[in-house]
Formats: sequence, structure tokens, C-alpha cells
Amino acid sequence: MRVPLSWLREFVDIELTPEQLAERLTLLGMEVSAIEHIGADWQRIVVGELLEVLPHPNSRKLSLTRVRTGASEPELSIVCGATNIEVGQRIPVALPGSVLPGDRHIDITTIAGTQSQGMLCSGDELGLTSDADGILILPADAQLGVDMADMAGDVVLDIDVKPNRGDALSILGLAREVAAATGATLRWPDLSVVEAGDATSDHLRVDVEDPDLCPVFVGRYVDAITLGPSPWDVQRRLIAAGVRPISNVVDASNYVLLELGKPIHTFDADAVREGHIIVRRARDGERLETLDHVGRELTTDTLLISDAAGPLAIAGVMGGAASEVGDATTSVIIESAIFDPVSVRRTAFRYALRSEASLRFEKGQEHRMARLGADRTAALIGAWAGGRVAVGVVDTAPDAPQAVRIAFRPARTSQLLGQTLGIDEQRALLERVQIRTERARAGEMITVIAGDDPLRVAVNELVDALVAIVPGHRRDLSIESDLIEEIARVRGYETLPGRLPDTAMPPYLADPQRPLDELRAQLAGAGLNEIVSHGLIGPEDHARLGLGPDDEQTVRTTNPVTVDHSELRRSMIPEHLRVLLENERQRTPDVRAFEIGALHAWHDGEPAERLVLGLMLAGRENPLTYDRVATPADMATAKGLLEQLAARQLRCRLEYEPVSARDGVEHPGRIAAVVAVAPEGERTSLGRVGELHPILLRHYQVRAEHVVFAEIDLDAYRRLIPGRVRVGRLEHLPGVERDIAVVVAADQPVGELEALIHAHGGSHLRAVTLFDEYRGSPLGDDEKSVAFRLRYETLDHDLDDGMVELMVERVVAVLSERLGARLRA
Amino acid sequence: MDVASFSAQLDELRARAVSAIDGADSPEALDAIESGMLGRKGELRGVLGGIGALSAEDRPKVGALANPVRGSIEAALADRRVSLEAEALDARLRTGAQDVTLPGRRRARGSLHPLVETEREIARIFGRFGFVVVDSPEVESDELNFGALNIPADHPACDLWDTIYVEEPAGTERDDRLLLRTHTSPGQIRAMRDRRPPIRVLTPGRCYRYEAVDASHSFEFFQIEGLMVDEGTTMAHLRGLLDAFAHAMFGADRATRFRPGYYPFTEPSVAFDIGCVVCEGEGCPACKRTGWMTILGAGMVHPVVLRNGGIDPEHYQGFAFGMGTDRIAMLRYAITDIRAFLANDMRFLERL
Repeated sequence: MRVPLSWLREFVDIELTPEQLAERLTLLGMEVSAIEHIGADWQRIVVGELLEVLPHPNSRKLSLTRVRTGASEPELSIVCGATNIEVGQRIPVALPGSVLPGDRHIDITTIAGTQSQGMLCSGDELGLTSDADGILILPADAQLGVDMADMAGDVVLDIDVKPNRGDALSILGLAREVAAATGATLRWPDLSVVEAGDATSDHLRVDVEDPDLCPVFVGRYVDAITLGPSPWDVQRRLIAAGVRPISNVVDASNYVLLELGKPIHTFDADAVREGHIIVRRARDGERLETLDHVGRELTTDTLLISDAAGPLAIAGVMGGAASEVGDATTSVIIESAIFDPVSVRRTAFRYALRSEASLRFEKGQEHRMARLGADRTAALIGAWAGGRVAVGVVDTAPDAPQAVRIAFRPARTSQLLGQTLGIDEQRALLERVQIRTERARAGEMITVIAGDDPLRVAVNELVDALVAIVPGHRRDLSIESDLIEEIARVRGYETLPGRLPDTAMPPYLADPQRPLDELRAQLAGAGLNEIVSHGLIGPEDHARLGLGPDDEQTVRTTNPVTVDHSELRRSMIPEHLRVLLENERQRTPDVRAFEIGALHAWHDGEPAERLVLGLMLAGRENPLTYDRVATPADMATAKGLLEQLAARQLRCRLEYEPVSARDGVEHPGRIAAVVAVAPEGERTSLGRVGELHPILLRHYQVRAEHVVFAEIDLDAYRRLIPGRVRVGRLEHLPGVERDIAVVVAADQPVGELEALIHAHGGSHLRAVTLFDEYRGSPLGDDEKSVAFRLRYETLDHDLDDGMVELMVERVVAVLSERLGARLRA
Repeated sequence: MDVASFSAQLDELRARAVSAIDGADSPEALDAIESGMLGRKGELRGVLGGIGALSAEDRPKVGALANPVRGSIEAALADRRVSLEAEALDARLRTGAQDVTLPGRRRARGSLHPLVETEREIARIFGRFGFVVVDSPEVESDELNFGALNIPADHPACDLWDTIYVEEPAGTERDDRLLLRTHTSPGQIRAMRDRRPPIRVLTPGRCYRYEAVDASHSFEFFQIEGLMVDEGTTMAHLRGLLDAFAHAMFGADRATRFRPGYYPFTEPSVAFDIGCVVCEGEGCPACKRTGWMTILGAGMVHPVVLRNGGIDPEHYQGFAFGMGTDRIAMLRYAITDIRAFLANDMRFLERL
């Protein structure tokens, strides 16, 4: 909320600088997000009078004006592009040598061949209003030559009022906070009304059919109105507060909205049939043209202000065009009502009409404000528009509700804050925000939790309790801890000493992320860059993966910010290709990246989340260097990385099984399932590794021809991490290595050979390394030779050569028997 | 022949051998000299072959003269071999000289993402005070995201979280509406329901809000939530812990302050500010000239939230705090645009 200090000062004396005041308010919970000094960046901007407005000789869009800024000042000839100017008006004139906001310097210039000795200013140019089209028209009695800073300057605090403090969404409410912060006394505005003529009831009758949604409606009637601009002091305040002045009557209701926080609506009394207002829900098929000239179909839960003929306004949200106060208005009905917060909020959302008024209704209104708002508005219209305020009010609920009593235990304050505060101090602190306290009576209830399922504790002789009598405007206070917060806030949190937790420690639990730290460090150490990409991707991304709009497992959102980010990802591939594309555009085509993140899918009607490692390699395997050929990253690179992880963290080796490629996603000949094989032989599927399909790459406009990708299920991966690793006795005896080369069919998957060697190599076989694969002469075209190095180690005795020979022979025999392999000479 | 002439022959032989050895330029040449001089058919044997002509009395004298000659030739051979080897090594090393100013063979640098690193650093700091990370899902029910946290539907407080909702699959019916969590706070409820006090947990993760993207906002962002519940957990403990965190993360002399805040799930609620990391409190655009930057929101867990977590608010009290991992990372690494995190420009990543 924008708070002009000049306005605030009407209700409370302020001896602090704006900066000091801002800090005090911030520390009290009314956060000042900006301090604006209106007029501080103006130089040589003064009030002038238009003596002449002529068409510009060389331009149809411009006018040539003659301006006077004082009896003894030379007349100025100024070119102006605005169309709202007339002879006799007073306007802000930027004299030659003047400065406008944004450090804009105005000097004598030539515009369209004519000299211009300065500039006439719009509200926008002065940084006052957002009105950039017309010149700011000042009141006719503005004194010539007066500095504009004196006419319109102010200091404005922009205060971020928290959603629970609707009472502070007003100048008066914030003045109350200033008083609490500084100890100054709050001064209320003059709320007296001069009444004359008829009784209000002669002109206004109000029936509330739905008192739940409209607990109170106060109406007043004012006639003999002369519509016109408000006094300048009113206009400049509204402008400083960010509200555009419109007319004295409309300004009066806006003024009360800002001053008291009470939304007011004024109807042209002639448009209200028989002066009879009915507050009711809309009926089926009813329509209303609202102030913004949009015809709206009304739903039956919309609360209306209506007359016998039909709807006049959407209660608390927006008035109707037909009853709008306009130039012809001579009498008005003032509505100062209170509406159900939830109903107003829902209605405002439904019609997308949230306004300053609906915002305040949503937060709840103090009951007495209905009457005070009506009186204040009537008095202001009387003063500014020469109106005659009819005698008395129509008030559907004149009796104020009882003050709210909240019992609390002062000992609880100390217990919660961790700082001992005496009862007297607590009472005095509450007094500063107008909360009186008294001793709680035995049997009175302390509300720990309010609402439909409250938790209450009875006051008895064992419980030392106070009762706070809460003023009507503090609708945010309802339970014991609300008062504790109030005490802490008013005392100031800077007085709360910090202390490290010294209570009992919870039992030890391992950090579930630690294994992932190790994995990340390992991959980064291998030269990969960790990335974090979007969790939400587009339907098109999923369609490219073969997961079209009909796919039932995709988790979709109802109201995405953009369709490109509307579905929770089921794969990291699309986002990673996008990352690759962006990096290729930045001329860094070598992208070696990994990400740890969640994938989502529906599973038995429940959303299921899977933690996944995504790995992408594009471009060169290693950076360019001077003495090696740069090799492209390929599937083997990715496999090597995965094997290193598996060896280090899982103590597993990996096997790869051919799988059918996802159409148009994976390279049909370069995709495998990744299977972890534990030393005991247990097999766990971990995910896939392979190359992406060129068509998919083309979809993402990626330039790389080969992109390697792996997606590893980290939930399965983490389960394989052994809780305890047994190293046991070290094998200090030398190992024995034997190389075998076998000739097999050219299309024989090597993985099968390796798996068989592991399975039949005997218990002392420690490692199998493929070290050669050869095709060509003297082998047949349909043959290849593969060579493995087998390493045998044992704990307890030397391996004798004969034993190793036997074991190797057995392996060769199995290979020959199962896969038709023959030993290569 | 007499002893003297043998002696002269031996001297001559020694002189010739030593001179040949000195002139030899390879181990092979030395081998040839050795066998030519000292071998079975070598010259020394040749000279001594004539010894039979001497008297029995003179023969040992000649023998005594010959031994030092053999010895000195052998010594000369050994010396020359050593020096030849040294010369050969020198020559080899000379030709093996490299341009020592060449750079190393580059390896890919590799990097860890600033968001994840920051999240882990936060967890490490609070880990020192007994806080442990627990997982919490990204797709959440409106009950846990709002209701259980004391945020009733249609309450103005809902304005604090613009929510992206999840479309429910056709044919399913459920009581709770699903959404993408707007904060990590539902993790508080889950943590309380899963365990008994004393509780000290952190729930980090990705959150989503319906927000337009600019330099400081994104519809996807990261938060980390902390919760501590016990019999005597106080706001003073909260202050002490957050001070320790701020000092660990932003320097031991970092100024801190509490000021009132508002969250429906805490009462009292506070905002936690640190001295501006850009201007060090002088006042700059980054801190809106206040010298302070807000890094997190916190407060004492609202009694109704404790009860919704299955904890008796009359016996236990606790605090919760939540911070934007993105914001902490931006302050920590002086990153000015939140969009950099999800853009993953390799040049950006390799600067960290």
C-alpha cells in the first residue's frame, strides 16, 4: 500500500525521518519495501497558465502554446503534442534548464521548425501518474510560478501489509502502527456529519435477504450535488497514493477506502428504483453490465445489490454501469456495507475482478466501520460537492458485536520465546496496540486452537492467565499464540537473544543423499558437468518419446504457466537435448552432463515419483588437446562411467542386454539395458544406455550426430549400495593372468561370452578384461576374434599353473560348447 | 731376454692399452680392447708366453710385474666404461629434452551444479546441529500443501502461493485435490507424522508456482525447509540456529536480524534478514537501500499444524524455517539471474 506521509501525519505525529520511520515499521512487521520522494527529482518545474493554444504551423499533431508563469516572468512559447489543453488552464511547466525524473533535461529546442522554450508536463513525465496522453491539469486557483514540488511533492512509503492484517490496509490503520512503534497518540479524523433536509429513510430503504453474506449495510442519501473535480489537496493525496482522481463524489469513496480501509460504493440515486435496495443472490439468467462496460452473466451464488428492476452492482466487487455516478448526477446513495470475506473472494476470482475494494472485503471488516465509512463519505461529499446530507442513516445492524476476549497464559509467552517476560511487561506491550488485559476468571477457556475442532484449556487456580480484550479492528487475533506473537512483535525481535539448541538430540539417521554426493563427485571428477533442468516439459516433448496425449501415465497440470511446461517429465531426454541445443548455440558443442532428479508417472491412480540419474554425452569425449586425436564420446564412454560408479559404490559389475529401441527415440542398433551383477550373481535392472535416434535429434534441432544417453534408476541403485563392505584378508600372493582369444560368429554379442566366463571361470577368477576385438584376415568374413585377459587370485595358497590351466580350459570348453567358439591359435 | 726387457714390454703394453682405452668411444670398442689385451689370446698372454726363456728365479719377478699392469688396464677399462655410460646417458637425455612450457594434456573440468551444491551445503551446516534430510514428494495433496498447514481454502493467505494443479486421470475419484507443491512445507507434516519428538529434519526439493519468469522468479524453484520439535524448543533456539547458519554460509561477522513476518503455519512468524552481501550494509539497489536482505522465513510451528502432524501442542513446541535454495545460491555465488540455474550453460557451470 502506498502511504503519503502528509496523509499519515494527519493521524499521528511523526518526528522520525522517512528512513527511520521505515525501519521502525519494518521491525514492527509493516515492511516498507520502498520510499519514494515525489518531487525530489524535479528542478525548475512550476505552475503556468496557458495564454494561447494555436495549431502548429508545420504539424497537425502539435500545438503552439504561449505560457505565463508569473506576472513578471517572460512569456514562453512552447510546442506541445497533447490534445487536452485549453486557454486558461493551469499546467506544470518545465522551464528551460529544468530536470524531470530519470535525469531528463529540458532546454530550449526546435520542434518541427519552431522554437520551444520548455515543456508542458504530463503526470507520467513527472512520475506522478501513469497518464502519459494528456497534460496534467492543475486547479484553476493554482498560483502561477509556484514550484511543482510544493504543489504535488510528498514522501510515499510503499508498505507490504501482510494478508492477515486487513486492518492495516488504510492510512488510519498504519497510523495506529506508527503510534504503537513510536508511542505517539493516534488522532481520528473528524467523523461528524452536517445533516439537513429530508430523513434518509424518505429516500432509501434497504432489505438484506442474505444476512449471512451481508451482516451489515449502512446507507446514506446526499442530494443537491454539484459534480466536479475534488480540491487539489485531495487530488494530490490520491495521486500520491496511486489513485487517479475522477470527480468529487467518486474521489470521496476512494478517499474513504484509503483513509479508513472501508470500501464504499455510491449509486446515482435516480438509477435506484424507488430508493429501494435489495441485497440478494443473483437469480438464474440475470445479467449486469459492470462499470468496465462488460456485460456479465451472473451465477446464482453471486451476491447482488439490486433494486426492484434488477441488479445494480456485484456486492463488494464492482458497480453497475447503469447506476454509475456521472456528470448528470445530482443525488447519490452511499453504500457502506460489510460482506462475507469468502463470498467476495470467490466472486472476485470468478469474474476476474479483484480490486482494492474486494481485497479489503476479503480480509474482513470491522463492524463499526460500516457506519463510520458512510458518515465520512457523506461528510466529504457534502464538503467537496456542495451536497446536502439527509438526516439519519439506514443501518441494518446498528448494534456492535461484543469485544472478543482471548485468554492466554503469560508463562507460555516466556516458554515459547525462550525469554522470561514478566506479566506486567506483557500487559504494557499489549496496551501499546490498544489491547487491554485483565485477570482471567476461573473457568474461562484458553483457546490453543480455534476453528471447527478447537483445543481449549480451562483457566483454574493452577493456571495463571490473563484475558485480552481485543479491539474490533484486530480480526487476526483469535488464539493464545496470536497474543504471544503480538507481545513479541511489539517488544521487538531484536531484543530476543539467540541460543543454540540445547534440547535432546533425535536418534541418528543416515543422510539419504550422501551416496548421491559420492556419485556426483565421481561424475564431476570424470569431467562431467552437473545440470538441473525443468521438471515440467511439454506434451510435444512427451509425444516425441512416444508418450502421446492419450498416454494415461503422464502427469499433467490443469493450469500450466505455458504449455511447454505443462507435464511432469517422464524422461530427462527432452530437457537434456534442449540444454545441448542451447550450448551448441553458444558454440560449446561438447556437452558432458548429468542430472539427478525426479520422473513422474501415474501408478495405480497415485502419482509416483522415481529418482533418476540422467547422463548425456555429445561431442568429444575429452577436451581438444595437442597430442591426441579427439575421440567422439560414444556408448562405450557412457558405459565406462557407469561401470566405474557401479564398481566403486555398488561393488557390482555391469552387463548390458540388447533391448528393442523405442521407435524414433533410441538408435535401433545401439541401445541396451543396464544390469548390475552382484558378486554373488544377483542381477538388478538399473536402466538403459544407448545412443539417441537421429530423428529425435533433428526434432530438437541438435547438430550433434551422435548423442549418448543413459537413464539410471537411482532408487534401485541406492538399494544395491552395500551397508557394510567386508574387505577381509588381503590377497598378498601374486595373481596369475591368462589371455585367451577365441573365434566366434561375427554377430555374437560379446557380453554373452563375458557372462559365461564369469559364470564358469571358477571361484578364484577375479577380473575379466576384454582387450581385443578383431575382424579380417585370416578369419572368415562371418567371424571375429575376441581376446580376454583372465586374472586369478587366491587368498590361501599359490595358484599352480596346472590348476589355472584347468580352469581356463573349462572356460574355453564352455564357450565352445555353448557358442561354438574355437580357440585362436 | 732378461727381466728388464720384459718390464719394458709390459710398460709399453700398458701405455698402449691405456691410450687405446682412452680413445675408445663405445662399449664394444672397449670389449675388443679387453679381449685383445687381456683375453686368452691377448697381448698380455703373448708377452708372458716368453717367460719360459727366463730363469726360474726371474719368472716370479716378471709375474709380479705383470699383475699391476693387468690391474691398471682393468681399472682403465672400468673407468672408461662408466664414463662412456654417463656420456651415452647424457646424450640420450639431451635428445629427449622437451618443451617444458607446453601445457598439460587437458582433461574435462567437470562441475557440480550451484543449486545442488548449495542445497547440500545447507544440509551439511544444519547436519552439524542434528538435522537430517528426509524426502518429500513434488506432487502433493492440497490437504498437506495447504489445509494441514493452516491455510484454509478461500483465505486471503492463499494469495501467497499461486498454485499449479494436477489433472486427475479420467475415471479416478479422490477426496483430495493434487497439486505441484508450492513450497517444501508439507514436508513438515509428513516428518511429524512419520516420527516422534525430538525431531530435527530438513526437506529440500523442487517446488512449483504459477508465476511469470523473470530475473528473480521462476515457476520452478528450489526450497529447503527445516523443522525442529521438542518439549523445550524455543524461538531463542531458532534465532541461535539461524545465526549459526548465516555465519557459516555468509561469514562469521555477518549481521543478522529477526523481524515480524506472516505465515499461516507459524505463530509467531518472522523474517530472517542478513546484512546485504553486496554492499555490506551500506545501502544499494540489491537491498533496496536498507542494508538488509531477507534470506528466509521462519517461526514457531502453529499449534494446529503440530496437531495436524499428530503432536500434542500442549506438550511440544517447535520451529520451522524455509528458504529459497535459488536465493541462497544467488547470494552465495553473486548470480544475478535465477534463469541461469535451469539454463545450464556449460560456461556458467564451469565457472563454479
